[in-house]
Amino acid sequence: MDSFSSSSGSPPNTEALMDQIKAQLAQAYAQEFLETVGNKCFAKCVTKPGSSLSGSESSCISRCVDRYIEATGIVSRALFSSTH
Amino acid sequence: MDASALSNPRLQAMLEEEKRKAMANEFVAKLTDVCWDKCITGSIGSSFSNSEASCLSNCAKRFFELKMLIVQRVSSPR
Repeated sequence: MDSFSSSSGSPPNTEALMDQIKAQLAQAYAQEFLETVGNKCFAKCVTKPGSSLSGSESSCISRCVDRYIEATGIVSRALFSSTH
Repeated sequence: MDASALSNPRLQAMLEEEKRKAMANEFVAKLTDVCWDKCITGSIGSSFSNSEASCLSNCAKRFFELKMLIVQRVSSPR
């Protein structure tokens, strides 16, 4: 995270700084999500690692990623929609 | 870095907003992690069963309740 100082020399621009912060946050969220989904789907789909990913493992991974995204949506709605 | 850019009120407001979003985001991510392990016990299908979907939803709500209970328990004298 050294890129905040990359514009030293030119006058700091609030707009550019805000864009940069947002971009880095988005990247951090994506990284964390990938990390978690990778762990979850590896545990679910690759139960006995072979010399390569089999077709059924690959399709399991693809379903698993979709389901994890769906699960995130369900959890989010459960928390933030009005009815508890 | 010039401090004037950092003290800009628009930047401060945006940081507050992003902080709020980050906390919500983290909570959702954490709950999805926990509830996935609790509710998705079988193999992964091409859609959730009704029981899996309601388990996820209930799990999130109950975990939130539990958090609230713990906050009360810890912050109020017995």
